[in-house]
Amino acid sequence: MSSDYSNIKDSAPIEHRFNPYSDNGGTILGIAGEDFAVLAGDTRHTTGYSINSRYEPKVFDVGDNIIMSANGFSADGNSLITNFKTNLQWYHFNNNEEKLKISSAARLIQHLLYGKRFFPYYVHTIIAGLDENGKGAVYSFDPVGSYEREQCRAGGAAASLIMPFLDNQVNFKNQANQPLRYLSLNEVLSLVKDAFSSATERHIHVGDYLEILIVTKEGVRTELYPLKRD
Amino acid sequence: MDHDPFRWGRPRDDIYGKYDYSIANSEHYFQEHKDKYSEFPRMNTQEPIVTGTSVIGIKFEDGIIMAADNLGSYGSLSRFTDIERLIEFNDKTVVGISGDISDLQKIERLLEELKIESSYDDVNIEFQADNIHKYLRNVLYSRRNKMDPLWNSLIVGGIGSDNEPFLKYVDLLGVEYASPALSTGFGNYLAIPILRKFLEEKGIDETKTDSDNFRNIKEEEARKCVLECMKVLFYRDARSLNKFSIVTISKKNGIKLEKNLKIEDMSWEFAKDIKGYGNGQRY
Amino acid sequence: MAGLSFENYQRNQFLSSKGYAVPKATSTGTTIVGCKFNGGVVIAADTRATAGPIVADKNCEKLHRIAPHIWCAGAGTAADTEMVTQLISSNIELHSLYTNREPRVCTALTLLKQHLFKYSGHIGAYLIVAGTDPTGSHLFSIHAHGSTDIGYYQTLGSGSLAAMSVFESRWKLDLTKEEAMKLCSDAIQAGIWNDLGSGSNVDLCVMEAGKDAVLHRNYLTPNVRSQKANNYIFNRGATVVLKEKTIYSKLELVSEEVIISTPEERPEAMEVDA
Repeated sequence: MSSDYSNIKDSAPIEHRFNPYSDNGGTILGIAGEDFAVLAGDTRHTTGYSINSRYEPKVFDVGDNIIMSANGFSADGNSLITNFKTNLQWYHFNNNEEKLKISSAARLIQHLLYGKRFFPYYVHTIIAGLDENGKGAVYSFDPVGSYEREQCRAGGAAASLIMPFLDNQVNFKNQANQPLRYLSLNEVLSLVKDAFSSATERHIHVGDYLEILIVTKEGVRTELYPLKRD
Repeated sequence: MDHDPFRWGRPRDDIYGKYDYSIANSEHYFQEHKDKYSEFPRMNTQEPIVTGTSVIGIKFEDGIIMAADNLGSYGSLSRFTDIERLIEFNDKTVVGISGDISDLQKIERLLEELKIESSYDDVNIEFQADNIHKYLRNVLYSRRNKMDPLWNSLIVGGIGSDNEPFLKYVDLLGVEYASPALSTGFGNYLAIPILRKFLEEKGIDETKTDSDNFRNIKEEEARKCVLECMKVLFYRDARSLNKFSIVTISKKNGIKLEKNLKIEDMSWEFAKDIKGYGNGQRY
Repeated sequence: MAGLSFENYQRNQFLSSKGYAVPKATSTGTTIVGCKFNGGVVIAADTRATAGPIVADKNCEKLHRIAPHIWCAGAGTAADTEMVTQLISSNIELHSLYTNREPRVCTALTLLKQHLFKYSGHIGAYLIVAGTDPTGSHLFSIHAHGSTDIGYYQTLGSGSLAAMSVFESRWKLDLTKEEAMKLCSDAIQAGIWNDLGSGSNVDLCVMEAGKDAVLHRNYLTPNVRSQKANNYIFNRGATVVLKEKTIYSKLELVSEEVIISTPEERPEAMEVDA
């Protein structure tokens, strides 16, 4: 009896408790141009092998010419975005409706994420917009708030499929005699479409629709394209 | 098990020895709190006990239809056969609940409380379906943050603040999503393919939520499709019952809850011809 | 020695406790179905093979031939369905030669279930076996542990519930061949669209009594890839040459031979009556 007991006690603990996380699939992608930035995401929402919804948007216009997406566990993603919007509203109240700079938005998100350091928001966050000089800006965050400004970044389920493609096509990595240059909006959009249609081919959690949000100095606009549904 | 009403369900110390806190690495917890709490660690819901199976829902022309059966299962025992899992909140909102039945009753009470608090003369709030969904989503998400979840999956249906049909899902994790056809539990595998096929044949664009998008779907057709789903679920979901309720909410006719419906036109004729399991058994 | 040997159990436990876990074979999410009709039987499958969340093969074959009139659809571990089908196919052929009779579906069923039972589930093959033989047309399913089932329609794999929803709402007695083919392809499509483990195309095989089995490879192709927006051809010199080395010396001409071929004189060209 006692030896049986100690066997159980000393073996690896068996997890038999509530798991507060799940993975809702999908993938996102942000690219900064010279005077614009795009943030795109597919709209498939999944758990396990099921499609919950074919159209559940996850890239949002959060105000002040900033677009935001938090991909991964969607309950945490939605909460993070709601919290960001609330904080932004308080910022406006306290600062005479002053516009929040994208660099400040990024720092705010770092604090929102790190505030839950020991019960993290299980998301890969990307924001996009224009910086103080009108140049396109993309910031990406890990689940606990480490962040960086980048030219482009893919996040979520198919990030590992898309990111090497972006390194090669946006930053011209492994291409000799290709000087670094800004891509035009049309070039960026066609890259985004190809990245998502290819990710749809090879990743089961990506598909249904592609929603692209585009920030320019005129504001935010949205484009929607169909992806494969299998 | 200890049958003392004040210690019910706990292992008896005289048989199993004192509870060993090192098992869950909770020694420090015990040391810190032994004067404040009983010596047994606090237990949150770790698994559902009495459960309800799928809730299904679909949008039509100017409203929504939802259905859920009346079974409360206790593991594999069909324990209660008269559980109503479609909760009317007001004439624009209904909440369909699957999962733990005691947590269902807690949600029922929370909704009743909300209704009372919002109905004093000086308050005068009229909740729409999307408000109720947001409320329940926040309840469920904050309970999961406390690691003390309400073990349910819900579908909230009705008419939203934009005066359009509303249908949205939320579960014990706080995960939420909307779709013209929704289901919880087993229905995700058995009913959703049927409902999606129906919507596709009606030419529904799932990216649009305005009722113009649904003008091709008459209430009667949608209802027929939902009845078909309930039949398939009864055929194949071992935790289901052939007695169920349907609720319809439309802009024109308001809410209509039909109880004690029976699954009709089942076909078991073929069964008499199936014998054995492959190698020529006679019976 | 009768029964199973567990002599390596302790060793394996020890190895896995030291971090040498048994390698996990790739399991395929799949939808496979079968349905009987008046005078025969149809089986069908999707063509997606997955490794975790990644699509490993967009157009794989899940319909296997056991004998000319006995076919089998496989779900579960890809390698197991392939190998167990080949093994039983060989044994059926030998048995047929030995007995000098047409192979029967129930023989294939028994060989498969006895083989799988012996390995108590470790061979992860989930099969729908169907075919025609002198006793009629038959449809069975087999689980990896060796249990079998019989019925007018069967579904297996991660998309089995989606497929079953089609049969449970639309199946009736006395189907025609065309109706059964439509029902099976619709059941597979329910899996393709609603189950993430299934996708791409529909394969279908019709076995009709007294006729050759007909395999419709890619019976439906509803998931053709769309045209890409860009083409990704690199300019010559895009890859930097870091180092050059020639590993053979100059080739020397040893002999020369000239072969003249004229297409008109091809001997294998078929004779068509003038």
